[in-house]
Amino acid sequence: MKRKIALGPGAASLILIVVALSLAMMAMLTIIAAKNDYSLCSRSASMIEQVYALNAASEKRLSELDAVVAKAAKEQGGEAFLKEVEKNLPQGMSLEENLVTWSEPLENRTLNCAVQISGDGSQPRVKWVSHKLTVNEPEEDWEW
Amino acid sequence: MKEGGRANALLVELLIVIFFFMIAATTLVELFAGAKLKSLEAKALNNSMLEAQNLADELYGSDTPEAILEGRGFRQDGENWVMDYEGFTIKVARRSEDSEAGSLITYDVTSYQGEKQLLTLPASRYVPKEVSP
Repeated sequence: MKRKIALGPGAASLILIVVALSLAMMAMLTIIAAKNDYSLCSRSASMIEQVYALNAASEKRLSELDAVVAKAAKEQGGEAFLKEVEKNLPQGMSLEENLVTWSEPLENRTLNCAVQISGDGSQPRVKWVSHKLTVNEPEEDWEW
Repeated sequence: MKEGGRANALLVELLIVIFFFMIAATTLVELFAGAKLKSLEAKALNNSMLEAQNLADELYGSDTPEAILEGRGFRQDGENWVMDYEGFTIKVARRSEDSEAGSLITYDVTSYQGEKQLLTLPASRYVPKEVSP
């Protein structure tokens, strides 16, 4: 009794080609998905870093402003106080009545800040009024 | 005789197929390992981002930031506070700039995966002082 061989010549090669191509496709899709996930996370992380950096910068500017207000309160009183503050305002800040405003730009984001200063330098000398983050223009350099 | 020759040819073909399959498998395993590594990096970055954000916000809002760090299980390592999470480490460094009018206290919350720095979130808070006229 003769045993018949079920697998013909070339069948194994065909199976190899199909299996290898399927595996290659799966590997490619997996690596693309992983790279996209990582890219999305990095993008998100960099945006969050920017927001925190802007907040930190605004607090630093607030400290500079407070130093000016405290100095003016020490040296001047009454109406001269606001004039003294206006004269020594840190760069980029503007005073309107007792409201100091400025912007903190970083890449395509801007943090618009507004701080109220006490009219006579009494505590609290400075008080946050507004802290608005704006995106200047949509980002088009998104890399998939 | 003819059947024997066919069996031999099949055997040789199978050997060649197995050889090429091994080569393909080696390359593909490398690719899968790379994808897994990338995926782990993304996971660590994402988790560390959420954790660092929570921590930075808590430190910003708290009057006793050191107590927050201790409460969360951070250990002090010289000037820094360190905590190991699954897949990443968070280090918190404190710096302070004092002036006559007040102090600007900043906590830099930095996350690492091994030696690689993932992100840094500064949590700054200005604390004004009483200034005598």
